[in-house]
Amino acid sequence: MSWIYAVERAVRNNVPKVEGILKDHPYLLDLAAKVRDGKTEVLRNLDRYVEETIKAVERSGGRAYLASTSEDAREIVSKIVGSGKTVVLGKSMVAYEAGIRKHLISTGNDVWETDLGEFLIQLADEPPSHIIAPSLHMTKERAEEVMRSVDPELKGASHERIAGVARKFLREKFVKADVGITGANAVAADTGSVVLVENEGNIRMTTILPEVHVAVTGVEKILPNLELAMYEALVQAAFGGLYPPSYVNVSSGPSSTADIEMKRVRPAHGPKEFHLVLLDNGRKEAAKDPVLWQSLLCVRCGRCHLHCPVYRVLGVNWGIPPFTGPMGAMWSAVIYGDRRPAMMCTHSGGCKEVCPMRIDIPRVLEELKARELKR
Amino acid sequence: MEVENFIREVLVKSLNEYMMPFPTDKKVCTEWAQDVPRGGGTVIYTGCMYQVTPVSDLFNRALPILSKVKGAEKLYPLSSILKPTNMQKERANRVLRSIASMLKRNGVQFNYLYEDEPYSGTVLLELGYVDEFAQYAKRVKGHLEKHQVRRLITVDPHSYYAFSRYKEFVPFDVEVVNYLELVKDLGTRVKGEYVIHDSCLYSRFLGIRENYRSLLNNAGVKLREDPFVTGPLTSMCCGAPIGPVRRDESQKIASYRAYQLNQLGDKLIVVCPLCYLALSPYFKGEVVDLAELAYNELGTGQRDTS
Ligand code: SF4
Repeated sequence: MSWIYAVERAVRNNVPKVEGILKDHPYLLDLAAKVRDGKTEVLRNLDRYVEETIKAVERSGGRAYLASTSEDAREIVSKIVGSGKTVVLGKSMVAYEAGIRKHLISTGNDVWETDLGEFLIQLADEPPSHIIAPSLHMTKERAEEVMRSVDPELKGASHERIAGVARKFLREKFVKADVGITGANAVAADTGSVVLVENEGNIRMTTILPEVHVAVTGVEKILPNLELAMYEALVQAAFGGLYPPSYVNVSSGPSSTADIEMKRVRPAHGPKEFHLVLLDNGRKEAAKDPVLWQSLLCVRCGRCHLHCPVYRVLGVNWGIPPFTGPMGAMWSAVIYGDRRPAMMCTHSGGCKEVCPMRIDIPRVLEELKARELKR
Repeated sequence: MEVENFIREVLVKSLNEYMMPFPTDKKVCTEWAQDVPRGGGTVIYTGCMYQVTPVSDLFNRALPILSKVKGAEKLYPLSSILKPTNMQKERANRVLRSIASMLKRNGVQFNYLYEDEPYSGTVLLELGYVDEFAQYAKRVKGHLEKHQVRRLITVDPHSYYAFSRYKEFVPFDVEVVNYLELVKDLGTRVKGEYVIHDSCLYSRFLGIRENYRSLLNNAGVKLREDPFVTGPLTSMCCGAPIGPVRRDESQKIASYRAYQLNQLGDKLIVVCPLCYLALSPYFKGEVVDLAELAYNELGTGQRDTS
């Protein structure tokens, strides 16, 4: 039952917040519609946009790669990082999908998740239960228990105190880090910029303090231009219930300066190297699918989860982490070809009502059920 | 996949032979209708949902076991011996008679197909047997044409939803409505406070959640609402739709849903026979169908449950 109580608290905190945000800032619905159109355009011409994005990253002094599988992604990142390094990770569900953290640890690196939820997940060695709140399944009491491996003194601590322990521990890692690995909320095809939205400040530090910044993300995160990529970040934050977001980061290549004769040169104070790894892992194939393509519109706001009866009861036991909940039932099929999570859909329809990308989730899951049954 | 394959086999076989999801004594389906004219045109459509849903859990329980027994599908015709209890029958009759009399009181004329009424195929769609549903829809369409049906007045959300999807699979010009769209007055005063559990289909797919709320409000019912429990975007499913393939998970959802609703009160209104079946074992208190509230055997026009 502890899962049910944890998610119940999250629903009571989050649901009215999102409703309030959308009421107070009605332009967000227009932005969401524009993002949907932009993503649709990219998904219809995915190869062209991948190519454009790679060229744009190179123009800005970075390097970009297309990884077909998780294994390819691990190999690419491994070559960039090497061994014996300190690596900080800013929340990236794609890095989790590709198994990057565990791989880099196995190749002799000191690797730390810096998002508080992910840090808890790493310490507890558990799978993430929600796409933007990975430790949603942990009550405060459980979070304290887990954090005791860093500070054995913790007892009856407040939320703030638990967060403070992580802050102290991770600050040291940020300063020492050789490589920062992040995901991306959106990638702009015209500029090669990676847009990241966050609240903790860990992503800003991950993208700026180390000498090398690697962004690992899915090909479906590409938007036609930086304008739409920025909108995507705002939409994701709003529908996730955190608006305005504390920080929106734009990374276009390595750090730069134009302070001498207004000539832009790289690097400056921030990273010397910038790498973008675009992961396919089934996405390109799904983009061509007449029904499943819709699932790639997902901006990973995590709203559908909280409006789904199956997720609210089964949590992490429904879908293949990080792909849980209604979006996860679709994405388990996209990434792992596993349609069984779709069989659990009760066709309750809350997901469809709240999805900012207007993905007809029940219809996608119905189609997945039909395909699974034909097998 | 064993259960799923077994279900497909027995469902399709039964639908082919009887136009019912499992062999059913048609008397069970029709005995509610006392003086409804036989015929097509505008018909009240029960899909035998209220009548046989009470026994469906026996199937949900038996399916995983039977699917492991070689040749068990041959035993399926025997399921016609599974009948609802007298109490269950009386309740279904009460609900359907109440709906029929509400319609009449509101000036709606209708016929009934009696034993010629085919099942809508809704369970196929819900479980994901979409091709089989498409095939079956063609057959039902032909059957309704033969009986010159022009308009279906559905009485449950699942049949209503299934028919609303027919057009995707077969040209279908039969008008489909639901009694809750036609009835403007419950015809009785109901005192007391109730909690309401929405049908997901009525609420979010068919858009008639306000219809039954205003019916109840006009009859004097005070509904205890909570935006986190009974809101249009938050009201949870009863779990029943996945019962045949995932009984455990289905029950977990039902028990949590009943727990949520119980936080608001101990008298619950439902608008669907599947919700009734799923929630009744877990809800602590009285569970009634909306149509039961309107039913008044004594004809006093009052129902005081306060
Ligand atoms: S499917 Fe829609 S609601 Fe769910 S996480 Fe994705 S964008 Fe958000």
